[in-house]
Amino acid sequence: MRTVPQPVILSEYRWPTGPDDPLPALPGYVVSSFSPLVAAAADGCLTAHYAEPSASAASRQRTAVLVVSRGNDVVSAAHVRDKVARGRRVGPLFFFQSAPNSVVGQVTSHWGLGGPVVCISPVGDPLTDGMAEAALLLEDGDADEVLLILVEQDDPEATGSTDRAHALLLSRGPTP
Amino acid sequence: MAEVTPVGIAGLGVLSALGRGPEPQLAAALSGAAAFGPIDRFDVSGRRVGIAATLGQVGTLTAELAEAIEAACADAGLTAGERAGSPLLLAVHGHPGASDCAAELADRAGLAGAGRVYTGACVSASTAVADAAAMIGRGLDRVVVAAGYLVEPDQFALFDSGQALSGDGAVRPFSSGRQGLLLGDGIAAVVLESTAAAAARGHRPATELIGWGRAGDAYHPCQPAPDGRGLARAIDAALQRADLSPHAIGYINANATGTPLSDTAEAAALHRSLGDAAARVPISSTKAVHGHALEASGLLELVLTVLSLQAGKLPVNAGYLGPDDSCELDVILASPRPVGTPYALSLNSAFGGANTALLVRAT
Repeated sequence: MRTVPQPVILSEYRWPTGPDDPLPALPGYVVSSFSPLVAAAADGCLTAHYAEPSASAASRQRTAVLVVSRGNDVVSAAHVRDKVARGRRVGPLFFFQSAPNSVVGQVTSHWGLGGPVVCISPVGDPLTDGMAEAALLLEDGDADEVLLILVEQDDPEATGSTDRAHALLLSRGPTP
Repeated sequence: MAEVTPVGIAGLGVLSALGRGPEPQLAAALSGAAAFGPIDRFDVSGRRVGIAATLGQVGTLTAELAEAIEAACADAGLTAGERAGSPLLLAVHGHPGASDCAAELADRAGLAGAGRVYTGACVSASTAVADAAAMIGRGLDRVVVAAGYLVEPDQFALFDSGQALSGDGAVRPFSSGRQGLLLGDGIAAVVLESTAAAAARGHRPATELIGWGRAGDAYHPCQPAPDGRGLARAIDAALQRADLSPHAIGYINANATGTPLSDTAEAAALHRSLGDAAARVPISSTKAVHGHALEASGLLELVLTVLSLQAGKLPVNAGYLGPDDSCELDVILASPRPVGTPYALSLNSAFGGANTALLVRAT
């Protein structure tokens, strides 16, 4: 495949920013850190570049959001699986947070981002896969910018929280 | 927007509650014979609704995906060497083992490996198709796209708790009195190939993907924008890539899930994008017969669109009770219509305001 131009990084943000960085709660999302992680990384990255949210900025109508996560919301999925296995009802909020797109809609409506919404599970290194997908979206022409969000939740084998998210706002790079 | 390379749909494999293989899909879609019935695959005694479209004898998701991929590659007549140069794009519900599943499927079929795994809910498969076309435009000869969802207890419980499921046992797209969606099994695979590569091996696909678009609503986490803004821009992008007028479109396979807000928003999107052509293009949603296959819906519905064009007949919109003033469209009722033009759109939308449009042409 012909080489696609490598995107240029406009801004970047990682959560947590330090050892005691509290994850901001996200109203409407319960139990799991997945959606708050996505929102925290997105807000940090977009604030660094745009400064202020805007639901009507024409320049953001072609900003895509791309979520890269190996398992998506594994905490919510485990919660639902347990409830179902025990024959219990699942709370309706879990329906609304059942897909990674949901929190993306939260981010896009707040910031006015009208480009494609894409979620992938990496087949290799998450950043490499995310940059490749972002490059394809930019070169193919449905987006002028891509907000790439890499998110993973706690590893149950690890000591302490390993929740982490990394957001990068990208634009089309120079043709090689 | 990048220059578009013609992309042929060289082969396909498909399964749904309507049956295995292309023929039962087309037969049921044309006659409007819905496959909904009581679920016996798992316990639904604690749920509000106990109905879905499930196939009686079905293997595991991985086994059924493998079979569909094999069928698509065989239908396309791919040699071992041609398979070895073709990556797999897979659309499934996200879970930690999704990429391993893709790698296993690619290996079993002798493909070049897992290229991407799409987990973005109900636009997963259609996004994969758009990306495959973009990859072919950048020099790949062919890409295999596969997608799968088999009705299972966890997603069913979620849709039930969200009161998204229809309570009257039917899906009624664009209809008055529609109550919601019903889930359905869906497994599909297609071989997408540059028409130049197909010609080089003596093939001429009967259908081509000539346009695609992806755009967001920027409106709400789980409700569609009432004005259909994102879906309209996705359709605009597909038409622009194909350099096609809205008046040339002869059929729309709608996203229409039978959900009150969603179908109304889709109708608004069609009027916003297509103008006066919106009310004249024959339209139906085949979800009314096979149900909503979630991550696989975009590919299952693309396959049905392709089969319809090849058969020269357009599927009916099953479950219709009567007109809804918020959906002023030319809904195909009662009996299949003859194909009027070679061009058809397949539309999909998802949570988060995600929208895709795929535009195909019968050659």
